[in-house]
Amino acid sequence: MSPLLQGIATILIGVGGCVGYFYGANLLLDRVIFPPRGRDPGANISRANAVRPWLFLAPAMAALGLYLVYPVVGSFWRSLYNRDGGTFIGPGNYTDLAADPAFRTAVFNNLLWVLVVPAASTFIGLVAAQLTDRIRWGNIAKSIIFMPMAISFVGASLIWKFVYANEADIGLLNAIRAALGFDDPLDVIQIPFWNNFFLMAILIWIQTGFAMVILSAALRGIPDETIEAAILDGANPLQIFFRIMVPQITGTILVVWTTITILVLKVFDIVYTMTGGNFGTQILPSYMMSYMFKDDGRATAVAFVIMLIVLPVMVWNIVQARKEMR
Amino acid sequence: MQLIAMAGRVAAALALATGSAHAQGLEFTPGEDDRFSWQSYETFADSHDLSGQTLDISGVWTGPDKDLVESVLAYFEAATGAQVRYSGSESFEQDIVIAAQAGSAPDIAVFPQPGLAADMARRGFLTPLGEDTADWVRRNYAAGESWVDLGSYENETGAEALYGFFYKIDVKSLVWYVPDAFAEAGYEVPGTLEDLKALTERIAADGGTPWCIGLGSGAATGWPATDWVEDLMLRRERPETYDAWVSHEIPFNDPAVVGAIEDYGWFARNDAFVEGGAQAAATTDFRESPAGLFTFPPGCYMHRQASFIDTYFPEGSEIGLDVDFFYFPAYAGRDLGRPVLGAGTLWAITRDSEAAHVFIDFLKTPIAHEIWMAQSGFLTPFTGASPEAYATDSMRAQGEILTSATTFRFDGSDLMPGEIGADAFWKGMIAYTTGRSDAETVAQEIERRWNAIR
Repeated sequence: MSPLLQGIATILIGVGGCVGYFYGANLLLDRVIFPPRGRDPGANISRANAVRPWLFLAPAMAALGLYLVYPVVGSFWRSLYNRDGGTFIGPGNYTDLAADPAFRTAVFNNLLWVLVVPAASTFIGLVAAQLTDRIRWGNIAKSIIFMPMAISFVGASLIWKFVYANEADIGLLNAIRAALGFDDPLDVIQIPFWNNFFLMAILIWIQTGFAMVILSAALRGIPDETIEAAILDGANPLQIFFRIMVPQITGTILVVWTTITILVLKVFDIVYTMTGGNFGTQILPSYMMSYMFKDDGRATAVAFVIMLIVLPVMVWNIVQARKEMR
Repeated sequence: MQLIAMAGRVAAALALATGSAHAQGLEFTPGEDDRFSWQSYETFADSHDLSGQTLDISGVWTGPDKDLVESVLAYFEAATGAQVRYSGSESFEQDIVIAAQAGSAPDIAVFPQPGLAADMARRGFLTPLGEDTADWVRRNYAAGESWVDLGSYENETGAEALYGFFYKIDVKSLVWYVPDAFAEAGYEVPGTLEDLKALTERIAADGGTPWCIGLGSGAATGWPATDWVEDLMLRRERPETYDAWVSHEIPFNDPAVVGAIEDYGWFARNDAFVEGGAQAAATTDFRESPAGLFTFPPGCYMHRQASFIDTYFPEGSEIGLDVDFFYFPAYAGRDLGRPVLGAGTLWAITRDSEAAHVFIDFLKTPIAHEIWMAQSGFLTPFTGASPEAYATDSMRAQGEILTSATTFRFDGSDLMPGEIGADAFWKGMIAYTTGRSDAETVAQEIERRWNAIR
């Protein structure tokens, strides 16, 4: 079958299946299970209406169960097994992790990432949103700030590898140092502790655009009256920004913040491509990668730890997003 | 479809008959060059027909190596009429495990390390090559028994069989240098490791930089340092100790191992001995690190790296003239013979099919080796392949190092469990080279991790 026919057939079966399901299920409910007949037709109608939402929810719940709940439970179960999944070792993988200094380094570094990257991206994004709204070439500036979003994490890492390169004729940073008269090149990726921040800069560079776009939309949604009132009351621009505008978009800021936090807890590409976890830059997802495909149980255990850390942030994120929507 | 397959067969037959193989994209015209064993190729072509069948092969070879392997595969296609699809991946080690677990493995996989192949065999993902192939390797490979040993693994029931066919071997115990630079400075190729250390000190005293070292390799950063340690291990300890280390019969932090790591540190942790200093070695890509040999004045005088590194030399540099190599020498004071460290790739069947087994048979023809030998970066222990086919004298010399070693040992980190040989050892060597940790601590950390494997 040609791909075109296949596509059309898929659409027909998919859409037809959905329509068929809802039509058939409703028919079944209204005609067979709770028909509006008999001694008390009214009661049957209200019973049918109580069941109806669940009919509509059922496919989504089944899909969620299959694609979300089952993998989580399955992962946890796997994390209790040894490296090739053959022997049950209970919490052995978790106790080993706790005893591993590399794991503790990864947790510490991850904490740094979670503290710095979302805060920096959101703050710079907010400032950029406010500033670019005020200038004539703001849209161009916005496009430029947003552009890194279109680059894959690995691609971005490769670009920054050149920025950080250890030679003045390749690395931008060392070229600037050389121009300022410093003689020997500096390998920033190897500076203990601070190299973490150089890696974070890459993610901040990518995520600032995202924060800017969302926050800029929120800033535009602020009613002009409140700002005019503040101006009449003699507030200076900084006061207007921090005491009038920011409080009105706190909800959006929190959603952006938590969204980036969730991303930070998942991103491994940057550390994996830049340092491979060497020089004390390991974070949890790249630590997981070093066990992946070699030790199933251990890698799943790390994945589960990451999930446990993400979960509260995720719940908070959803709560905030729902508040925003109201 | 049948018509196309038939047309392909006719074309292949025509090409063979007329000898005009260029239309097929064959690198060397069959029958024309007497360095090659065309007889074996034609016998193979006559007795095998896979028209209309396809063979999927995955491997580690990318870039120039992909073109080279495809130049060999073209002969298999021309001989059998099968269609071969080769795909190379930088992350082959991960991809092949996922593919096998998902049930979408290729017919044949080219493994860069026996360790991973052994792991796959133990999980039941590989098909045995059969006893006659094992016999063939025993008879036709120099030191055949050791190659059979390296390719034989246990399956999920614990039964041992030959799964890996070694092909394209790298000799690792080589030191590359530029003869002109040596001549100009009045240095001589050292015959012993003591001499090599003295030369290193002399170059540094003369104001030059003796070594280029590059440990960077993306997520695999650190592996070149493990080769140093393994080479030095073979030069300080008996081969049995090496085997015991690789199979974890002695702990990783055994004094023998710590001594080898520190011996590596003698070369690599001295800022005066390494171009850019020890710190730079950890982030310099191994593919770029030989560049220092070719600058003027020399950025460095020596570079210890396996035979494949010539792929990354500047275009047009001729080995033996612009750049040459010498055997990484052994300690005169330790009487351990002439140990050679090597590595190699092996083919294994990941999906049982007729075409896959025919392909393994193809690898037993001298031509399957000679085509690549005649180009670059390929050494073989196959005694049936004509040494005449080597493109250069230097490759022939490397081939000789391979066959005349008193001790041959496979790259140890490749034989260790993946968590150790392809992660903990690498990262440990980076921590040691950059001075974040001393040898004792690094070895202890790797030992702790090895013990944590369940």
